[in-house]
Amino acid sequence: MKSINALKVTGLVLIAVMLAMFTVQGSYALWNKAVSSNAGTVQAADFRISLTDTNTSKVTDMTLPNGTSATLSLSSTAMGVIIPGQSSYAGVEVKNITNAGGDFTVRASTATPTIGNTAGSSLAPYLSVKTATASSLSLCSQVTLYDGVKDSETPIVDIIKNGSGVFCFQVSLAATMPASLSGQSAQVTIPILVNQL
Amino acid sequence: MNKMTKGVIATGVGIVLMVGGGGTLATWNQAQSASMGKVVSGDLNLVPATAGVWTNASNTVVDIVKYNVVPGDTLTYTQPLTVSLDGDLMVARLAVTGASAADGFGANATVSATTLTKADKTVVSATTDLVPADSGVVTASTTFTFNKSTTGRTATKTSVDLSGIGYSLVQQAPVASNAK
Repeated sequence: MKSINALKVTGLVLIAVMLAMFTVQGSYALWNKAVSSNAGTVQAADFRISLTDTNTSKVTDMTLPNGTSATLSLSSTAMGVIIPGQSSYAGVEVKNITNAGGDFTVRASTATPTIGNTAGSSLAPYLSVKTATASSLSLCSQVTLYDGVKDSETPIVDIIKNGSGVFCFQVSLAATMPASLSGQSAQVTIPILVNQL
Repeated sequence: MNKMTKGVIATGVGIVLMVGGGGTLATWNQAQSASMGKVVSGDLNLVPATAGVWTNASNTVVDIVKYNVVPGDTLTYTQPLTVSLDGDLMVARLAVTGASAADGFGANATVSATTLTKADKTVVSATTDLVPADSGVVTASTTFTFNKSTTGRTATKTSVDLSGIGYSLVQQAPVASNAK
C-alpha cells in the first residue's frame, strides 16, 4: 500500500517537473544574445537667470527656490533722491547662467513701468521712467543713453548662454512738481520678462 | 584435479584456439570509411560594433553625462551593432528590449521607438527574419525630443534613464527542427 502511494507521489512530481521544463523551453531554447544600449540618462537643464543691481552689485536669482519670481530693489544714483527737473539712474544686469548643454539664447524684455504713490504721497504723476539697453552697467548714468527714448518704450535684449544684457533706467522728476510734494516718495515697478528663444 | 577444474581448463584451451585461429579463418573482406566528415556548428552573436553616441540637432556629438537638454532640443542615440549569423538553417530575429518612456519629463518630451537599420537602409522589424546573408552592421537609433511647447519652467532639472534599452538577437527554430 505504501509503495503504491510512493509511486503516485513520484508520478506527480515527475509530471510537475516535465510541465515546468516544457513551460520554460520556449523562452530559453535556441541561441540568443542580448546587449545593452548603454544610452545613459538624459537630463534637463536648469533655467537660471540672475539679476545684478547697478550700484550695490547685489545678485539675485530671478526665480526663487520656491518657484516664485524674485523682486530686486534697485538702488539709484544720487542716493535715491532727485530734485525737480533732474534725473536719477539705476540699472540691472540680466545674466543667462543656464547649464544647458547646447545653445540656449533667451530674450529679456521689460514691461511698461508702473509708478505708484507710497502712503500719503502724491508724487507719482510727476515722475517718468525711461528704459534703455546698454553694454554695461557703468553706462546707465550717461544721459545720452536715453536720448530719443520714449517713456513707454520696452526694450528687449537677446542673451546667449553665459552672456548678459543690461537694462538702464532713468527716473525723472518733472520741473513742474509743486514744492509742497517735497520729501514725498513713489514706487516704480518694472517687470522683467525672460523667454527662451 | 577434479572434473570441474578439468572442464574449465578445456574450455579455456578451446577459446584460446578459437582466438588464435581467427587470422587463419578469414576469407575475402574489405573495410570502407564512411567519409562522414565533421559536423560543424554555426554561430549567432550580437556585439556593439562601436560605442554608441549621442548627437544633438546640430549633429554634434555630445557627452550625455554632461549635456543638459532644454525645450526644443532633439538628441539622437546611435548604436551600431554587429550581427553574426552562421548556419545553413540559421534564422534569427533582432529586437529592442526595455523600451523606455520619457518618465521624468512627462508629456513634455518623447522617446521614439528604437529603429534598427541595416547598412543598405533596410529597416529591421521585430518580425524580420535574418539569415546569415544579413550578417553585418545594424544601426540602432533612438531619438529624445524635448518639446518646444514646454512652458514656464516645467521639467527643469528632471531626467529620464534610458540605460534599460537593449537589443536581443534570438534564433528562430528551423522549420524541420527536432523536439529536443
